[in-house]
Amino acid sequence: MNYINRLFSLRPYGDRSDEIFLRAVRENFSYQLENCGEYRSIAEYFGIGVHDLRNIRDISKLPILPTLFFKRNKISSSKGIYTATSFGTSGGNKSEINFDAEALANALKMSVKIAALRGLISPVPCHYIIMGYKPSISNHAAVTKTAFGATLFTPALSRNYILKYKNNKYEPDFDGIISLVQRLGRSAFPVRFMGFPSYTYFLMKLMDERGIRVKLPENSKIMLGGGWKQFYAEQTDKQSFYSLSKKVLGIDDKNIIEFFGAVEHPVLYCDCPEHHFHIPAYSRVIIRDVDTLKPLPFGKVGLVDLITPLVKATPLLSVMTDDLGVMHSGKECKCGISSPYLEIIGRIAPSDIKTCAAGAAQLLEKL
Amino acid sequence: MILYAGKIYESSLQDALLDRLSDDLDRVLSMKTLSSQTVISAVSKLGEEIVSGKYDKELDEIKIEQPERIKLLCAKMLVRENLEYKLNIELKSTETPEPPEGLSKISSKRMPLGVIFHIAAGNMDGLPAFSLAEGLLSGNVNILKLPSTDNGLSLKIISRLIEIEPELSDFIYVFDTPSSDIRAMQKMAQLADGISVWGGNAAISAVRTLAPTGVKLIEWGQKLGFCYISGYSDKTGELSALAEHIAKTRQLLCSSCQTIFLDTEDENELKSFCKEFLPLLEKAVERHKSPILGERAYGSLISCTELLEDIIGNKARSEFRGKGCRLIIRSDSELELSPMMCGVLVKRLPKDKILKELRKSKGYLQTAGLICSPEKRNELCDILSRCGVTRITSAGNMSEYFSGEAHDGEYPMSRYTRIVNIED
Repeated sequence: MNYINRLFSLRPYGDRSDEIFLRAVRENFSYQLENCGEYRSIAEYFGIGVHDLRNIRDISKLPILPTLFFKRNKISSSKGIYTATSFGTSGGNKSEINFDAEALANALKMSVKIAALRGLISPVPCHYIIMGYKPSISNHAAVTKTAFGATLFTPALSRNYILKYKNNKYEPDFDGIISLVQRLGRSAFPVRFMGFPSYTYFLMKLMDERGIRVKLPENSKIMLGGGWKQFYAEQTDKQSFYSLSKKVLGIDDKNIIEFFGAVEHPVLYCDCPEHHFHIPAYSRVIIRDVDTLKPLPFGKVGLVDLITPLVKATPLLSVMTDDLGVMHSGKECKCGISSPYLEIIGRIAPSDIKTCAAGAAQLLEKL
Repeated sequence: MILYAGKIYESSLQDALLDRLSDDLDRVLSMKTLSSQTVISAVSKLGEEIVSGKYDKELDEIKIEQPERIKLLCAKMLVRENLEYKLNIELKSTETPEPPEGLSKISSKRMPLGVIFHIAAGNMDGLPAFSLAEGLLSGNVNILKLPSTDNGLSLKIISRLIEIEPELSDFIYVFDTPSSDIRAMQKMAQLADGISVWGGNAAISAVRTLAPTGVKLIEWGQKLGFCYISGYSDKTGELSALAEHIAKTRQLLCSSCQTIFLDTEDENELKSFCKEFLPLLEKAVERHKSPILGERAYGSLISCTELLEDIIGNKARSEFRGKGCRLIIRSDSELELSPMMCGVLVKRLPKDKILKELRKSKGYLQTAGLICSPEKRNELCDILSRCGVTRITSAGNMSEYFSGEAHDGEYPMSRYTRIVNIED
């Protein structure tokens, strides 16, 4: 029985099954132990074998690999059919992660189901404005491909990218996009914005400053995505983001949909109408104490450990990001989804660590 | 925000203000003199206010780390007696004895350099105000470029200083110009007699390229500290003090201990040292946990990643892991930045190799914490001084403030002044 496939056949919410999740994790864990020498050494060091995963709570015993580890080391269990690169911050290292065919198929199934929840999949064609890069041969950043992939949810009448490749580098063309938005305001078909939240925000502010007001067709949407880092950067501005989009584009907050994923944990998270990120059936999240790395209960802030058996080609079973987060019980949200939700409190910003030791700042930047 | 001759302006007025700065500076230089007593009175008054808790709310708001420590430091540094003491040491009298017979005498007087352009780094809270205070104490007119990360504390302190002593206003011009505004930076550099720059290699190199030839560059680069152990006077006491120092500074300061050197060739001695030192370090770390969650989380992520790298590397780096800290044995003998956050490097460095090894880090040497038997102390101090080390303390006091101490081998205020000779 292939429990990984079974897990990804579940609906994102409502079918959540600890039993299937645990079996899928064991299946993936066995595969990693057999196929990845480095991972086997790590598991042996911590004294963990498949038989130690007896109930759902035991998944906290899986070896935790920080995203930093993937940035500094290339590790895989098989060649896979596709290699994704994380979107590196300036000066930072990038992770290279192999994906197997099954993982890609399951990721696609998952994305479609999650996208459907917020009405992103529709036969009505629309115009896409992508606040990011056009995929090119030299551009492997996964976020580029995610953005392109998401334009396949509905038939695309057009795809326009704000980042234009000029003089060997990407430059944002805000003026071009603003006149496009004005034209599309008169179109019969909805518009969808995708990509980096910071660009979308800047675009709206620019329009506001110039006094440009557009009422985009009904069901136009802003899809905010990027990595975890972009997601956090805009957190404080969310309310002003919502009111600005209503003001300059005529898009209200129920049509602003935020999603994120990370190369090292490629589960797609999409916010509910209350803008909370509920954990779908395909993953589990453990918040860990920053000193001891022991699991913490709901409501306590700690490091974010993300668990999913999605990928076999790279040991991504249990990955710890450089964010600080907190889990809330699903009951705290009015949307009706019972699964708990994750709130990102902040990113460990190495630049906040004040140091005057020689070379220390550069070392911290590499995180 | 800009603070220009006692008035606050919007940042957008920067270029207009820079256009008139040259004339304003000339006017101050030609007509005004700042007495050190005026500055001392104002600075010590401000110090009293900080110590008395007047700014506790502000310190809390900007989440300054260890506010009690900052207040303690202010209590020591900013009192009148200490400021006068510092001034006396750094700006010695220029009176010269009679020259040998037959040679003519010329008298000397000490003058401020003139205009100092301070480019302060954002890596220490309050550093911009501190640099400015030294410029004022030595009588200079000061242009200060705030670091982009400044949390508002500097401007608050400086505005209050001017409120206490309005006479200072003509001597203070604070801009929040970003480093990327090269044109404005160059303009300020052109108006200065000296540029005092704090920061890492990149910041200092950038200033070297924008400073006009002829302007005195006063560089305060980033340094590395280490501890050297060759026997003990009081083993437990000394090692506990070293552990306390590492835990308190989390190895983030120029003076913090990055590497512990043992006077030995024998790697086994390193291991037995680590076994003994680790429990002491663990205890100290427990007592001095960083209040900043993110900082502790960073330490855990680095330590977790390093452990995994050790496991898959199959060549264990010989790590001694404790709760919230670790000791990492390396086989070379070079001074090296540690992973910080209480991850300390431990290396061999026999006495006769000190000079050769430490010279590799010349330019980055600063504090050596010395642990040794009393009879070896003079000899080791001599060797360390010859290498280029500028500060030798007991291991526990590596980051303590000593009244009258030089900074990186020099008295800052003497660098901010010049000697004028006048024929009698």
